[in-house]
Amino acid sequence: MKNTDKKSLVIGLPRALLFYRYETLWRGFFQELGAQVVVSAPTDRKIMEEGSALAVDETCLSAKIFFGHVKSLVGRCDYILVPRISSTGFRRTMCSRFQGLYDQTRNVFRSSGQKFLAYNLDVQQEASRKMTMYELGRLVGLSSEDHAPEEKDEKTAFLEMGESLGFSHRAIKRAYKRAKRAELRQRRAAAAETEQLYKAEGIKILIAAHSYLIEDAYIGKAVMDFLKKSDVTGIRADLVDREEAIRRSRELSPTCKWEVSREILGSIAMHRDKVDGIILLSAFPCGPDSMVNELLARKVKGVPMLNLIMDGQSGTAGVETRLESFIDIIRFKEGSL
Amino acid sequence: MKIARNIAVTRYADYNCAVKYLVEAGLEANYILPPPLTKRTAEIGAKYSPDFVCTPFKTTLGSMIEALEAGADTIIMTYGVCRLGYYGELQEQILRDLGYDFDFINLEEYSTGRKRDYLKAIRRLNPKCNLAKLSIAALEAVKMVEYVDEITGEYYKNCGFDPSGEYKRAYQQFLTAMYTAGAKAEISEAYRQVKRQFQQIPLEKPQRPLRVGVLGEFYTAMDPFSNLETEQKLADMGVEVHRWMNVTNRTLHYSGEKNLNVKIRDLCTYEMGPTSTATIWCAKEYAERGFDGLIHIKSANCTPEIDVMPVLQNISADYKIPVLYLTFDSQSSDVGLMTRLEAFYDMIQMRKKVV
Repeated sequence: MKNTDKKSLVIGLPRALLFYRYETLWRGFFQELGAQVVVSAPTDRKIMEEGSALAVDETCLSAKIFFGHVKSLVGRCDYILVPRISSTGFRRTMCSRFQGLYDQTRNVFRSSGQKFLAYNLDVQQEASRKMTMYELGRLVGLSSEDHAPEEKDEKTAFLEMGESLGFSHRAIKRAYKRAKRAELRQRRAAAAETEQLYKAEGIKILIAAHSYLIEDAYIGKAVMDFLKKSDVTGIRADLVDREEAIRRSRELSPTCKWEVSREILGSIAMHRDKVDGIILLSAFPCGPDSMVNELLARKVKGVPMLNLIMDGQSGTAGVETRLESFIDIIRFKEGSL
Repeated sequence: MKIARNIAVTRYADYNCAVKYLVEAGLEANYILPPPLTKRTAEIGAKYSPDFVCTPFKTTLGSMIEALEAGADTIIMTYGVCRLGYYGELQEQILRDLGYDFDFINLEEYSTGRKRDYLKAIRRLNPKCNLAKLSIAALEAVKMVEYVDEITGEYYKNCGFDPSGEYKRAYQQFLTAMYTAGAKAEISEAYRQVKRQFQQIPLEKPQRPLRVGVLGEFYTAMDPFSNLETEQKLADMGVEVHRWMNVTNRTLHYSGEKNLNVKIRDLCTYEMGPTSTATIWCAKEYAERGFDGLIHIKSANCTPEIDVMPVLQNISADYKIPVLYLTFDSQSSDVGLMTRLEAFYDMIQMRKKVV
């Protein structure tokens, strides 16, 4: 499959799910390769409803929204990127929805004729073998810790994807390297900026949510907007030094294996004493959250906690009432009400 | 000297006989068989579980509480690739918060990628465990699982065509023998006996009976309590019920994701979840073999099985095969299920006459 006219290549990125986690990397990678990137518009009611109509009823809200975004891109680009991300290492897996997302999307849109593009990141399959290698390495005095396994495997996955589009090995390597560097820079900046918020005056509330929920214009934005309006500093738990958070997550949950959940767990472990309340924000019915949030409610004591589950409601009044009373409780507790 | 542990593992289809054998003959400890799953199990499980966790979490939690009530002091929970792998930690937390006092062996903690870490779990269960003895018992327990799966498969294929009820009696006698077996000879004798009986019982089977394939999630599709005995209900209508999904096929003799994927390449490129490849492969296989219908069974909120539904819909369209999608939560009445199964049966029967 040689692509002769590379300039015309248009890649569609659905503005949903992992887009919020990988935006810089994906955009950077394809732009470096000279492709044109099209991103779907922010979620609105129409996108959500169209997605819900396409998806299996029992799927989570975020996946329904995702299908709406894909639909809005169908026919507008050569390929729509839907990566298959299973794991980035031992006990660092994604929710199994992301494992099946590429094939699910392909099956849902089978009759549309749209082509989809994937890269496959699945490190855990190799995990047991690697663990033994690490051990052996340590025995003979080698340290393999300098090589972050995530990057190496991601690079291979991107190489395979790029080659399937007909780009040269060298061009792909350079594009990935630059895009990855930009991603790390952006990630570090976001974490550092968020870290500053913990020093802010007034009431601070930590929001534990997946990035695709809190950043979604139709779902999570209402929460952030309301906190801002109420003079409360809302701090996102997911914008954190990921490696440290992954380490610290063990304090709260020794066997949790979902990478994103571990980052949030770790972030809560790191910051629970610095905030006045925690909001557990999840989409209905989020698989990992259904268990992790229950564990958090049982283990993290002494901080007011609000469990907010978002479904496809059209109004924000219900959410605002709950947020308002939660903020009142915090103010009352601190004697400022 | 410390008295031997009273070990329990939650109820799971009819596999507890093999666990019992392994614990008694291999670990040389006492096995506490939790009471059969009932409405009460589901109720207490659901009461203490988070709302939208998948249903097996609730059922197994209920079964753990009943095991503790029955005198267990040690509970073993398995590891797993989906949410199952996180069951243990949260269930232990819930039980501890309720105030129960017990020892919890969460195999997920020992699943570190290093096989020898399982040894630590074994040493914790019985420090004086004789590994040779354990290995032999494990092999025999595996054989037992294979027998149970083989006989159960044969049973649901044929029991609907035996008006005398002898078939069912022979099957139940076999299961009882598995639960009481204390030595290898007893296991193989019971197996031989039920095979003989199955062959001798006359069946009134038409030449081309209705054939339905049951697919789905690893727990709910296999556990008769959790699926409100869907297979028995279908068989009783006079249907040959096939189910590939069981521990033997999916775990012991699994031909691997790559080998199964060969056949379903056009539908699915990657592994979509723990049992997804098997479910899709199996659906296509049944469709190609000219089955009259498929029943997809899953528990509420089972992510991987929800995700394969669009694929099954495509198989259904390609091969013109009806698929009934059933989701089971902790409901206790089977009236709704019965209505749906009857309608499905009528439909596939009419199709068979027409086609």
